[in-house]
Amino acid sequence: MIPVLDVRGVSVRIRLPGDRYVYAVDDVSFTVNPSEVVAIVGESGCGKTMLAMSILGLLPAGAEVTAGEVRLGDEDLRRATPARMRDVRGRQIGTIFQEPMPSLNPVLTIGRQIGEVLERHERLPSRSARARAVELLDLVGIPDARRRVDQYPHEMSGGMAQRAMIAMAIACKPRLLLADEPTTALDVTIQAAILRVIDDLRRQLDVAVVLITHDLGVVADVADRVLVMYAGRAVEQAGVLDLFAAPQHPYTLGLLGAVRHPTRTRPRSRLAEIPGIVPTMLAPATACAFAPRCPRADNRCRTELPRLEVLRPGHAAACFHPGAGG
Amino acid sequence: MTSTTLAVTMVRGPGVVRRLIARPPTAIGLFVASSVILIAIFAPVVAPFAPAANDFEAILSPPTGTHLFGTDELGRDILSRVMWGARASMQAGLLATLIAVAVAVPVGLLAGYYRGVLDTLVMRVTDALLAFPFLIIAVGLAAILGPSLLNATVAIGIVQAPKLVRITRGEVLSLREESFVHAAVADGAPDRSVIFRHILPNAINVLLVQATVILPFAILAEATLSFLGLGVQPPTPSWGVMLTAAQPYLGIAPWFAITPGLAILVTTLSFNLVGDGLRDVLDPRLER
Repeated sequence: MIPVLDVRGVSVRIRLPGDRYVYAVDDVSFTVNPSEVVAIVGESGCGKTMLAMSILGLLPAGAEVTAGEVRLGDEDLRRATPARMRDVRGRQIGTIFQEPMPSLNPVLTIGRQIGEVLERHERLPSRSARARAVELLDLVGIPDARRRVDQYPHEMSGGMAQRAMIAMAIACKPRLLLADEPTTALDVTIQAAILRVIDDLRRQLDVAVVLITHDLGVVADVADRVLVMYAGRAVEQAGVLDLFAAPQHPYTLGLLGAVRHPTRTRPRSRLAEIPGIVPTMLAPATACAFAPRCPRADNRCRTELPRLEVLRPGHAAACFHPGAGG
Repeated sequence: MTSTTLAVTMVRGPGVVRRLIARPPTAIGLFVASSVILIAIFAPVVAPFAPAANDFEAILSPPTGTHLFGTDELGRDILSRVMWGARASMQAGLLATLIAVAVAVPVGLLAGYYRGVLDTLVMRVTDALLAFPFLIIAVGLAAILGPSLLNATVAIGIVQAPKLVRITRGEVLSLREESFVHAAVADGAPDRSVIFRHILPNAINVLLVQATVILPFAILAEATLSFLGLGVQPPTPSWGVMLTAAQPYLGIAPWFAITPGLAILVTTLSFNLVGDGLRDVLDPRLER
């Protein structure tokens, strides 16, 4: 089976004033199979969003991909022309952003914004584009879509707006949906509904999903596989059940410890935390970046770079002392 | 259904015009400004006399029943000349504003969106132009192009452009970092669609308000240039030309200068009031 998305050894660095660089993404590889949801998890500043933007070829000024390949099907997107990339964006890869409201143009109706994507990529005349927009709004669970299609973003709630964003992202039946923190800005109750929409769509439309999040609750809900990132590197990769049942990397273990568990946690007990913060990588890593915060760290961790190693089929971790034990 | 329709109407608000009229100063401005425009258009019909018709029985006559605002040094009816003069003022005001917008908005859009060398170049040129006092450039341009209403109008438009370039560029700079612009790019929108469908419509309010600031300024500038002999040429009436002609008679026939002077004051003031109202009604940062 050819994966929908195959990211191979991608590195991204960001130029700072004075010819210094931040090594935001360092040698990250992962694949996404058809109708699979792969979650990329990590704290703020671990390079999740930079990784996503490098897939779209939309890194901000000063950031560049220095190594690796991004393959969509059998096409290497890093070699694609700007015109080809414009065609890929919106048509092959749909994108959902964190904040739905500011991501919608305030002066255009929802229908026109969805229609614009269809007119651009599928050359639909505006009348049929509008009809399609109504169908799409219906598909993402917006009630009374026929009326909503003529509304402006400010007439919608955050949850509605995010559904509209999703409708826009799937308008051209993309092969891949890139969702960057799609539920972070929403109420908890709305979060669940939006995740259900995404989950339904990947079944109905056979679309593969890359879900970027820092929320392990979201991961447990919808992801099939998980990539845990720390300081720009992949530290653990596993199926979602394996990851939650037997996390191997001490960082993953720490992340899980920091989640409130509704049944197991005693009331008022303090959540476990990982001391310290994610370091900013001003030089390419030569040792385990997590070592300064890691209870298992020894001399080897501080001098040698652990590679992602397969511990058992479908489960890999970049750690010299892997194991589920505390 | 009715209640939802009602809710929708409440959120989107009644039409811009109705919200404008709801403000007394704006309503007055709107009334006066549109009256002046109508008078300019229908001057041949509404003016009691032809602008060049001499009444040698009444030279420098004070206001009378026949000549409501008196006559000038050649016995021409001042009210009629002010009405005809509105044509020059409106033409200069509207055309100069249009020229400024036509030059400045595209330049500002491109400079703000593409940044880089183009932006630096545009900004240094506008800096240089803004450093000159308005009159120096306008007089220089009018002198080079030759004195005529059209040339004066072009000069005014060009002089007004740099400020509008900066404002447009500033708007674009902030809008291009908005999430919805990034989202449009991520949906594969080409530059022209990002600029014209996503950025420009969101900047239009600010630009519209700015245009209503330029308009009264252009009216005043036309009067100034005509006063200096660089705009409308006599005997064609214009408020500026009338002021020039009235200057020697200020002591003995004050109505001669006061009438065109008042016309300038009232017209510019009314357009400014409309501009203020538009800003309040349209600017989402003030409204929502």
